[in-house]
Parts: sequence; C-alpha cells; structure tokens
Amino acid sequence: MSFFSTLRQKATFIDKISESFGNTITRDEKFKLEYKLPPGENIQDDTNADVSFVSIYDSNNKKKQSIITAKQSNQEKVAYVFSGRLYMTPHFLVFKDSFDQKSCELILNISTIKKVERSPSAAYAFALMITLYSGSQVIIQFVGLRYRSEQFCEQLKKNLRENMPKAKELSSFLSTCYSEFIINKNMLRMTNLHPPKAGLGQSFKYPGAVDAAKEKRKLRLWFDYFKMNGQNLAIMKSPLFHKLVRIGLPNRMRGEIWDLCSGAMYLRHANEGVYEKILKDNEGKISQAIEEIEKDLKRSLPEYSAYQTEEGIQRLRNVLTAYSWKNPDVGYCQAMNIVCAALLIYLSEEQAFWCLCNICDIYVPGYYSKTMYGTLLDQKVFESFVEEKLPVLWDYIVKHDIQLSIVSLPWFLSLFYTSIPLEYAIRIMDLFFMNGAKALFQVALAVLKINADDILQADDDGMFIAIIKNYFRTLDQSVHPDAPDIKYRQITKFQELLVTAFKEFSVITDSSILQERNRYKKDIFQNIEIFVKKTQLRHLPKVFHLTDDNLSNIYDIYYQSIETHKISMGTGSSNMTFEVFVQFMTKLCEWAKPINEETNPAFNKQRSSFLRILFNNWDIAKLNELSLNDIVSGLDKLLTHDLLESINYFFSLYDNDDDGELQREEVLQLSEGLLLLTEPWKSGRLIDALTKRQLEDDIAERIAQDKLQQIEEEQKIELPKNYEVDEEKYKNEQSERYLLAASNFLQRSFEYATTLALADEVNLIDLSDEEETAESKQAKEKKFASLKANAALDPTHPKILDLANFRMIILADETYELFFARTLRSSIYVDKNFGANNDRGKALRGMFDGIIADGRRVAQQVRRRVDSVATKSTTNSIESPDNLTPDNSTLVGSKYDDIDDFTNEGADDEDEFVDEESNALLKNPWVDEELEDQESTSETLNGPKKRPVSMIVPHQENDLIEFET
Amino acid sequence: MNNPVTSIKLVLLGEAAVGKSSIVLRFVSNDFAENKEPTIGAAFLTQRVNIDDHTVKFEIWDTAGQERFASLAPMYYRNAQAALVVYDVTKPQSFIKARHWVKELHEQASKDIVIALIGNKVDILDDDPNERKVAKEEAEKLAQEENLLFFETSAKTALNINEVFLKIGENIPLKNANDGNGDGINVTDNQRVNLAASADATANASACSC
Repeated sequence: MSFFSTLRQKATFIDKISESFGNTITRDEKFKLEYKLPPGENIQDDTNADVSFVSIYDSNNKKKQSIITAKQSNQEKVAYVFSGRLYMTPHFLVFKDSFDQKSCELILNISTIKKVERSPSAAYAFALMITLYSGSQVIIQFVGLRYRSEQFCEQLKKNLRENMPKAKELSSFLSTCYSEFIINKNMLRMTNLHPPKAGLGQSFKYPGAVDAAKEKRKLRLWFDYFKMNGQNLAIMKSPLFHKLVRIGLPNRMRGEIWDLCSGAMYLRHANEGVYEKILKDNEGKISQAIEEIEKDLKRSLPEYSAYQTEEGIQRLRNVLTAYSWKNPDVGYCQAMNIVCAALLIYLSEEQAFWCLCNICDIYVPGYYSKTMYGTLLDQKVFESFVEEKLPVLWDYIVKHDIQLSIVSLPWFLSLFYTSIPLEYAIRIMDLFFMNGAKALFQVALAVLKINADDILQADDDGMFIAIIKNYFRTLDQSVHPDAPDIKYRQITKFQELLVTAFKEFSVITDSSILQERNRYKKDIFQNIEIFVKKTQLRHLPKVFHLTDDNLSNIYDIYYQSIETHKISMGTGSSNMTFEVFVQFMTKLCEWAKPINEETNPAFNKQRSSFLRILFNNWDIAKLNELSLNDIVSGLDKLLTHDLLESINYFFSLYDNDDDGELQREEVLQLSEGLLLLTEPWKSGRLIDALTKRQLEDDIAERIAQDKLQQIEEEQKIELPKNYEVDEEKYKNEQSERYLLAASNFLQRSFEYATTLALADEVNLIDLSDEEETAESKQAKEKKFASLKANAALDPTHPKILDLANFRMIILADETYELFFARTLRSSIYVDKNFGANNDRGKALRGMFDGIIADGRRVAQQVRRRVDSVATKSTTNSIESPDNLTPDNSTLVGSKYDDIDDFTNEGADDEDEFVDEESNALLKNPWVDEELEDQESTSETLNGPKKRPVSMIVPHQENDLIEFET
Repeated sequence: MNNPVTSIKLVLLGEAAVGKSSIVLRFVSNDFAENKEPTIGAAFLTQRVNIDDHTVKFEIWDTAGQERFASLAPMYYRNAQAALVVYDVTKPQSFIKARHWVKELHEQASKDIVIALIGNKVDILDDDPNERKVAKEEAEKLAQEENLLFFETSAKTALNINEVFLKIGENIPLKNANDGNGDGINVTDNQRVNLAASADATANASACSC
C-alpha cells in the first residue's frame, strides 16, 4: 500500500506542477470531472482492488465454471477480474482498471446496492460481494493492509446507512430509464410496463433517414451489453461500450446514453423533483433572460417539425427558462436554444435540463456566460492547435488575413448544430458526451485538415467560408465516388471526418486542452476586462465634474469592492448593497475611513447614517442597490466644482420632502453630517488650505527673519530643510477652528430659524463669548454639545431652516465655505489610481513633512517679507538658525500635495490674495477674527462677514449680497 | 464584367431579433424567412451591385445581436468601411442599443466608416400604426447629430432594402476603397495586423462564388 500511495503522491505532485501555470484543480475536482459526478461527490477513500462484475444474466455463470481466473479459482461465479483502483464518494463506488484505463470502468450508485456480504474467500484476502437490485453482483477483493480495507468497509457501511431513504426511491427513478424498460420487458417478461418519457423524436420522427432494421440491430447490441454489464446507475463500461457509441447510437437509446455519459443522470438522480420545482417556483416571473428566450423559441431548429408545434416550443421554453433560473449568472445565451432543441429530440424535459446543466458547467464551461469567456478562450486554444498541428495551413490563414473564428466559433458555440446537417451533428454529439470537449477540437481540426488543399487556394474570408459550407453540405457523399471497390465507394465524407478526427487528432487530450486553456486564460480575461470597462465607461450617464480618468478610477474601485462579481466571467451581481457601498466609500473618501472609537465615539454612528443618506439619495430606482451608473451620477454631484451647487446638494440630502426647508430634526442630522465630513480636519489627519497657508506664512516669516541678508538673488531662496514644525500646534488650531465652525453653524442655524418663527425667542443658555480666547478645545466641544442639546431639547418652537439661510450660514464661515468650495472635494480621491492609494496611510503620517515641498509660495512669501523688511530697516541682526539644517532626508517627494493640492487650480488666486491681504492676515490671525464674530453673532447673521469671504473667493461677494436682500 | 470592381466591407450591428440577417437575406437572395435561426457569432455573405459604371462587391458581416456577443463585434467591424446599425421600430430598447452601437463605432471603428441607421420592420406599422414605438423624427435627429444615413425599411416587404446598400455604395469613394482601407483603423484584434492582404482582393474577386 505504501508503495502505491507514494506512487499516487508522486502522480498528484506532478499534476500539481503541470497545473501550477494556471488555475489548479484539486484531485477531487478532477475526479468528479472525469466521471461526471455531481457536486459533493468527493473522494472519501480509495484503495487498490480487484473487481469483477458478475451478471445475473450471464448464462455461463449458472452452470459452467470453466472460465476461471487464477485468483478466483475457488469461487462459485466467475467473470473477468480487473485490477485497479476503487474510489468511494458519499453516493458512488467508482472503479477504474489500472491496465489500460479503458478495460473496465465501473460507476455504481450506492442506491443500487441491495446487499453487501463478506465473500467467503481465502483467509488472507479480504473480499466483499455486493449484490445489486438487479441480482447482478460486484465482487471486490481488496489489495492492501487489512485494517485499511476494514476502514473502507466501515465508511461504505456508513454511506449505505445514510443513503437508505434515497435507496427506497430507486425504482421510481429507474422507471425513467429506457435501459431498465427493455430489460424488464425482455428478461423479466414484466407486463403492464410503461415506456419512460422520451424525447420529441419519438413522436415527431428522428432526424435523418432512419433504417428500422439497423436501429433494431443496434438496440439489440445495447440490450446485450446491459445484460452483461449492468445499466444506468450501475454500469461497467468496457471498450465495447465506447465502440457501440462510436458506431452511432440507436435513436431510442440515444437519450439514455447521452443522459448517462454526460453525468446528467447522476445529477437528475441526486436532484429528483428539482426541475419541476424550479419551473413551479418561477412560474409567471419575468427576466431579461426570459424575454431573450421568447425571442428565440421559434428560431431554434425551425425546420424540425416538432418546433413548429406548441408542444415542442413549450418543452424548449420550459428547459431554457428553468436553466436561466437555476443559473442566473449565465441566464440565456443564443446557441443554447439550438443545443437544447437538439437535446429535446432525444431526451425528456427533465433529462435535457440536467444535460444542459452539465454541458454548461462541465463540458464547455464559460461558453454561454455573460462575457462568453469560454468561447473566446477556446477559439484561442483552437487557433494554437491549428498553428501546432497544421502549420502550413495556419501560415496561409495568417498571411491572407482570414478570420478563422468566423467559421470555427459557431462550431464550438453551437456544438456544430448550426453548421452541419442535424443528423451528423447528432453523431458528433454522441462522441462529445462520451469523450468531452476534446471531440469538438478533434472534429474541427479534421474539417480543416480534410479541406486544407482547397483552403490553401482561398484568398479571403468569403472563399474560405464557401469551401467549408460546401463541404458540410456534401457530408453524405462518397469520399471516393470513382473507386472500383464498392467498399471504398461507400465511405462517406462524414465517416472520413470522424476517422480523421479521432485517429489523427487523438493527440488532442483533455490535459492538452487544459494546458492550453491555462496558457491563454490570463490574456483572454484581461482583454475581456478591458473591453467591458471600455463599454461600461462609454455607457455611463453624462457627468459634469468627473474626468475620464476619474471615471476609470471609480470603475476600478467599484469593482474591487464588489468581490462577488467577476468581470471576466460575467458572474455575480454587479450592483452594490449598502454594506459594499460602505466599503467602497471607505476606499474613496477620507472622511469615510473608520477611526478609533475612543477618539470620537459618535463617529461610527454619524458615518453610517451619512452613508445611508447618500446611499438612499443615489439609489434612484429605489432597489436598495446601487449600480455603477448611480455611483457615478452621485459622485458627480458630490464633487461639483461650484460652491453653491455643492452647498445646495448637501442641503438637499437632508431635505427629505424636497420642499426647500429643513425641520429641526433634519437640521440636527445635517449638522451631524457636517461633523462627520469635517472629521479628518478636526482630528488633524488632513490639513486644509487655511492651515497650510498659515503654516507657510509662519515658515516664511521665520526664514525671512533668519536669512534676511543672505537672500540676494532672485530664485535663489533656499528653503529650510528639516524645518521643525510644531505639528500639534497647527493641528490643534485647525481642530479648534472646525469645532468652532460647527458650533457656530448650529447656533446660527437655530438662531436664524428661530427669528423666522418667533421673533422674541431667546437663547436658552448663555452663549456669551467673553472668555473665548482662553477657552480650551474641550470647552468648545462641550459648548457644541450643549448647543446641540439645547436646540434638540426645545420642542416647543418649530424651527425651520431654508436653503437661502443655510447657504448664508455656510458662506458666513470661512472654514465651512472653503470646505464646500474645495476642502470636501480634496478628501474624495477620485483622481488617484487606486493601486497607488495604498501608500496614502504612510503619506498621511508625515503630512507636515511635505508641507513646503512645493516651496514656491513660501519662497514668494519670504521674498515679500524680505523686501518689505529691507525697505523699513536694514539694521536687523541676523542669527544663524539652529533649527534650520540643510538636511534633505525628511523632505522627499511628498504625498501631501495629493491630498491638498491647489497649487495648480488656484495658484493665481492665491498669489493675488497674498498680495492684497498678506499683511493684514498675517498680523491678525484669522482665529482672532472668528472670535470677534463670535461676540456679535446677531450681526453676523444680518451682515455676513465679508472680509474672510472676500479674502478667499472675492468673486463670491455678489452671492452674499443677494442673500442679504 | 469589365467594370472595375470595388469591395466594400460592411458590418451589420443591432439588438437581437431586429432583422439584421433578414435584411441581408433580402439583399443577397431577395428572400425572406419568418423564423430565422439566430446568428451565432457572425455570418458572412457577399453581393455585387452595379453603381454607374462600377461594380461594387459588398462583403457583408452579419453579427449576432445578443448583448453578450458584443465582445466579439470588434473582430468583425475592424477594417469595415460601412456599417448598418439596425433597430426595430416597434422596440424602443433596440433604439437605445442602436445609439450605443453608433457611439462604439465612432470610437472604435475606422475613422471614415459610413454608418447607416436602419429602422426595420415598418411593415408591422401597415397593420397597426400604433405599434410604432420609435418616432421617425427621433431617429432622424440621431442620424443628423451623428452624421448617419437613415432609412426605415422592411426586410419582409423589401421596402428600402436595396436603397440602403446603393446609398452606401454612393457614399464610399470607390477608387479609394481598396488602397485606403488600411489607414486610420483601430486594430482591435491584436492577433493579426496584416493589412496588405486585402490589396489583391479586387483581382480575384470574380473567383468568389456568389
């Protein structure tokens, strides 16, 4: 055993290596694929064993004991014994011989097991005799350590016990199998048997010329095969089985063999009643797939008589719609209708349904997906096979720019049904179900090879297509019409095609296909993703503030957030739920990033309620989901470059009834929203333009003092390196400024709202600000809280804030005005490539490091100061600065500009502003101005502060005046 | 057949079941089939027409209409000199899709591609004018904005079908059709960029079985 297991380990190891180039598939998956077992049938145990199948109908066994193999000389019944490997899954016993992997393949559903006995055999050997429902027996002689064999048996026992209820339903399932019917009828002489449901062909005639005698002969062969080797759920496949399939299946038996080979039978057995249930559960429902199916029902094998009747159409409708509900990721793809129509000629509805499932999932995965990645991939794989196996032809095709896929794509996608006459396509289908997708490649290569001489004369696509078309039209003709020997004359082109396909291209194997698929998968997926992105971006709604780059970034972050959606495979919903939306915004917006609860306990609540408001506002169709279009339209509004639009939009988020007025509750919510949005600046994670300017000015001031005389020449102002900045000081100042703005906002909102409602309304708490200058940050926070509570706790007077007042209040506050004009936008990272975004955290930590990386403004400031000082007095003494060292280390290419970069957008404005106002501003820090305002709040409302407003955005003054009137 | 022969590569685009293949069938075989199988991938047909003293050979690429086949379309419209963007006058959704196609063609296809916007199935309106769901004015407006030819057609009754192709033939500079079709294109198929091959198409065109 250990020898075998090392061998096996080696084998799996080699498999692993060969698969490591692409997506690896596990041993279990490979196993299930090989035997077409349903999901869940993982290998529980496997062992080496000698197995023989002893049919109850084998007349030899009844009397004679002449055919005896060495190992079983003392047994009652005899049969061929095969050495190989036995696998056990929850519902199956699978055996494959190790001689040539073809001689014996036994697939046994354990529902068919009636009895398991220890076989009376030599003491050293351990054997089981399994008796099936039919009376046939499977004898298993374990090879290996006894305790392992015992373990195997224990597991089998357990599986059998668990399967008991299912086993009881066996007979009803068997009644759907034609093989069972003919055995019962002919061997057991059972009467009042009903033949199982058949395909449409049974009543509408099978395609092609049917030779009744030949059919009967073929059917007889199958009957004999089943007698000796079992049937349907318990069958041993010998080389004869493959041979019988190759010569072409008898029409009546075709359905069951397709059912069996495709694994649909196992799936159907494991999911009894599911098909009907899907149909029933979705009755009357409408979807895009349903609409598409309806369009094509009458366009599926329209020349076949059944599809000119309601019965045929209805079956087709049922199977296609059921599949679209079962697998909404695929839904419906044109070509499925044709494949399905062909299946239904031979299979019952339920059989066809499960067969379609396995075609889509196992045989040609991804062919019918929303992006058709499987189709594109296999075209690439096919081309590479042509290049490798038919190099001359390939060179010619390339040289003449002939589009191979124009002919080959429909072959694969519709499994030849749209290219080859139906009766021949059916034959290819026989082989396809038995051998897998490689049959398609083999036939396709054979078509090219047989027609190579003609194709080498073709100049363009048109001629190429004509050659192939003509060939398919004449498949029934003789290959050698002039041959003297009738045997040669009888060989049709179709027979030649099959022989060429399976003899000459037998080198095309499942593993070579897998290998090629893995080789091109990445490219194909990448191309699809690029294509999908291009298409989606092209179809986005019109935007006003987002650039193409922005949209591209938003697209990327959007799909990175929706993890369940695979762009290249087109699976999963591409819409966002609220949870995903939160993730998305977290990646995109600084203020949506989660923070430590302790620093700001209210934050998480504010965050989720604000995001919820945004989500609902953007969810235009009210589906409780956002599409990429919703997100883009929403962000476009949020990122408006127009100050007033920005303020209006924020207001409208809270104006639920859209009447242009906010109720008290809404005002409170709005203030919470403002708190949330300004959090990054309040906490000092980001710094805004005002702080930056302050910092620059301060630095400039110091440099000016320090270096007054050293600065002689233009452009040669040296910026301080490693300048020590008291980060905390600036952070605190900024933080206070934001807090103050928040409390001012609330106070003003309610004051102003109040004056509208009740003229004599007075403040409930004292808001005098005599001690403002000394007030600590904590005190400010407290004050804000009390203000809020105050307003909230005053239910006696209805307060209403209208848009005009809201705008005025915002514009009256420099911090908030700047916030809507610019600051907010700078915290939504639509510009950045998300990949580069990962460094952001690091960059933020050293936010002050880069403050003067773009030293242009500082330099200007320094020069201005130097100039002005120089004119006033030239007698200042100059001290060599201790804290200014020419050290580069901390000033490397800063990310800071990314966050708050307005050197480009507003450089001119600022310079202008500096020229006019620099002295006044520098000498009177604006915080002081705020405090003054604080003392005269009523004035503020009646006459908005013009000074700070005009300083920052002078052109806004008109708007302010408008509000006054 | 001493006339000079010019080849025009023409591609049909549009939503599923608007009648693309039927338009081609009518033009090529003067035939009509009520329930045609959907086009899988694409179909290729040719037809010759005499325009003045020229013979124009249309190489028609008829594409699949279903949304998910759209990723295959670039393969077929690359190098195309003309495109028919087809919609169904009774299906508003198909007109939206037509807009998308026009946009895509303008972005991705050859710069001087001649595009015709085709509102098909007008025969349905003969029975019931209320069936019209896409106003002619709306389509005309789109055609004007985007510089498209515009026709309302019926493959069933053959209304305007030949006219579409003739008009396209007139709108493509005949002499340049062959030597110019390698310029200004976006080769979306990164596999093959062989543009020289089409040059000798004219000479051998008569060998084609059509």
